[in-house]
Amino acid sequence: MAAMLLRRKTLSAAGLSALALAAATQASAWSYEEAAAPYAGTQISILDEVTPLQEQFAEIVPEFEKLTGIKVNYQLLNHFEVINRGQADMLSGRGEYDAVMAHSLQVGLLMDAGVLMPIDGFLADAALTDPDFAQDDLIDPAFSSLAFLDGKQYSFLNWNYNMVYWARNDLLSDPGEMEAFEAEYGYPLAPAETFDQLHDIAEFFTRKSGETLAGETLDSDFYGIVMEGMNGGGTYVPVWQVFIKNAGGDIFDADGHPTFDSPAVIKGLETWGDLWQFSPPGQAEYSLIDVPTVMGNGIAAQSIAYSDFVLGIDREGASALHGEFVYGPTPVYADGDEYHAAGEPSGYFISTHSKNPEATYLFLQWAAEKKTQAELLSSGVGVPVRDSSWAELMTEGNQLNGLYDAMKASLAGVEATPKAPRWFQISDVMNRIFQQVGLGQATAEEAAAALQSEVTAICDPCILK
Amino acid sequence: MTEISAAPAAADRPAAGESYHRESRWYPYALIAPTMLTLTVVALVPFLYMGWISLHEARYGQIGAFAGFANFEKLLTDPRFWNSMKVAGLFVAIAVPIEFMLGLIGALVLSQRIKFRSVLIPFLFIPSMMAPIIVGLVWKTMLAGSWGFFSYNILERFGILSGSSVFASPDLALYGLIFVDIWEWTPFMVLTFFAGMQALPANPFWAAQVDGANPVQIFFRLTLPMLAPLLVVIGLIRTIDAFKVYDTIYILTNGGPGITTESPSVLGYKYTFDFWEIGTASALAVVIWLVFFVFCNVFYQIAKRRLNVF
Repeated sequence: MAAMLLRRKTLSAAGLSALALAAATQASAWSYEEAAAPYAGTQISILDEVTPLQEQFAEIVPEFEKLTGIKVNYQLLNHFEVINRGQADMLSGRGEYDAVMAHSLQVGLLMDAGVLMPIDGFLADAALTDPDFAQDDLIDPAFSSLAFLDGKQYSFLNWNYNMVYWARNDLLSDPGEMEAFEAEYGYPLAPAETFDQLHDIAEFFTRKSGETLAGETLDSDFYGIVMEGMNGGGTYVPVWQVFIKNAGGDIFDADGHPTFDSPAVIKGLETWGDLWQFSPPGQAEYSLIDVPTVMGNGIAAQSIAYSDFVLGIDREGASALHGEFVYGPTPVYADGDEYHAAGEPSGYFISTHSKNPEATYLFLQWAAEKKTQAELLSSGVGVPVRDSSWAELMTEGNQLNGLYDAMKASLAGVEATPKAPRWFQISDVMNRIFQQVGLGQATAEEAAAALQSEVTAICDPCILK
Repeated sequence: MTEISAAPAAADRPAAGESYHRESRWYPYALIAPTMLTLTVVALVPFLYMGWISLHEARYGQIGAFAGFANFEKLLTDPRFWNSMKVAGLFVAIAVPIEFMLGLIGALVLSQRIKFRSVLIPFLFIPSMMAPIIVGLVWKTMLAGSWGFFSYNILERFGILSGSSVFASPDLALYGLIFVDIWEWTPFMVLTFFAGMQALPANPFWAAQVDGANPVQIFFRLTLPMLAPLLVVIGLIRTIDAFKVYDTIYILTNGGPGITTESPSVLGYKYTFDFWEIGTASALAVVIWLVFFVFCNVFYQIAKRRLNVF
């Protein structure tokens, strides 16, 4: 799979190099002003998700308008709305949006429905494509696993959502807690790198009201770990991508047949389900939005959470614990395992119903340009989509460098969701049955058997080729 | 100054039985035509279209070939559909009678000219005036696990519900939602029944008091029979409305834990916007409509014959 992705990316990069060479002979300097001249005055509508990253991006969108004369109706909706409304718009053929930000989990359905426009034609058009775009700089394997299917390219990489390990540094570095931890577990207290350490830290810090924590008496219960647990949303993401894949397995084989009844799935579910005993009582209600809230409120010691939401908490004025956190890549079972991390690579995809695909393509390209990305990340806050952008972010003295180190390490293991047309049905089953394991209503073995049976009834094979 | 026109001359008057007859024959239809037209456009046409979709393949929202009853077969063999019917049935069976009883008691109390009645009544409007989505958010902030005001300060602090939370517990989540529904709709029942009681004629009550009837006899022999039409209509409306519950479930549990609070409306939303199984979703809507069509007819006949209502 990785080799295939690399080959696709290499071919794509080779194509762009050839294009660059050809362009160099034809024109001395490619510019957005010239490329957009035929489309000046047109209006395009882009639907995106509201997160701190996109709010930052919205501020620089007017620069594209100024540069090209193309008017952009840039709309932001919340995570669930952007999925529902974007899909409804494209699938119904209404075509209100020229491009929609799609998470990789949506791409299989949208490709199967034939509503995503390939961009190969635009890429090959020297008038439209910047020869200096440097597609091979986009972060892999996120980009390659997101943007291509069956030899065609559909997008760039625009948003690189990824999960990191997130813990309370003030607790992990408290001398009293460090001494007590080492005495109990026989090794020094530090951010978890393995699932065993994650479990030990969760167990160690789970305390009842009246007990002490870092020298203070607790007036309410404190929890060792908090994770997503709600039925619906993205509960399944870390369970599958972190706990199961790092156990050496996956939920589909190379041909797309479900493989839930495997030892890796059972091991992953056991490890994840076991952590629920150290979690807040309401974890079965927690979505990806609740987890950072709970961490910011200071009632849990550690978490596995989306790094872009972390950015919303670990900043001045957002949480009293700002500056007290420590980050790392999501844990593994043992050193030397093939590394997998959780994430949701996402990109702008042009709708087949777009009336202005060329102008929209220019926007897609501009959004992922090095210069645009540099400007987007100039505040020192963000999630890069380009390898070269790390240098923009990790400047000397940036308090978030630890988080960026963690992101960079996690992104090395983040792949897009397989292009499964019925992914929403599959993830619905996963969320429901995973949650039952967390709540103690099913054992890992029972869950694996139920998953295999239910998912096979939905599709077999499940992935587009 | 208003001018009073003279009566039309005899020659201008229509011949007896001609235009007056025509006018009286078409006039009522003309009056209800705008309403009927609007209802046809906004309700009947979409419903018929949905019925048509339910008989067709509908992949990703694109209507395909005629599929007969395949969508209905798929729906009726899906355990989630039957689970959702059970959830809604339980929801209605518990919530509506409690709201009904509390509403009646509240209305009787208000009728007793209690102190501060005029202050209390506006407050009773508040829960029912809130959009259901706001009601959901209010109770999320009260009962959310670990950070909800009530959960954090009472349930967890005093160990009443250790190791779980109301909406995270498969055993409690549905009852939590029922509680929220009762909180939201009981005041509406109180006010409606109170308004009904205020509209009852006073003479029979005076006569009953003169004849020496006690309050219990007055309630069962006079108040209840005279209120019966209102009680039946409100009970029917509330039953239908409770069965359709969606917003509060979506906000508070999204149908979970597992599928323990997944009502037909939540399932229909998932079929439509998560799974894009528009055919199955349409079949679900048709089945729910049929269930209520039968239920309302049976209810109507019983109310008409046994209670002499309608």
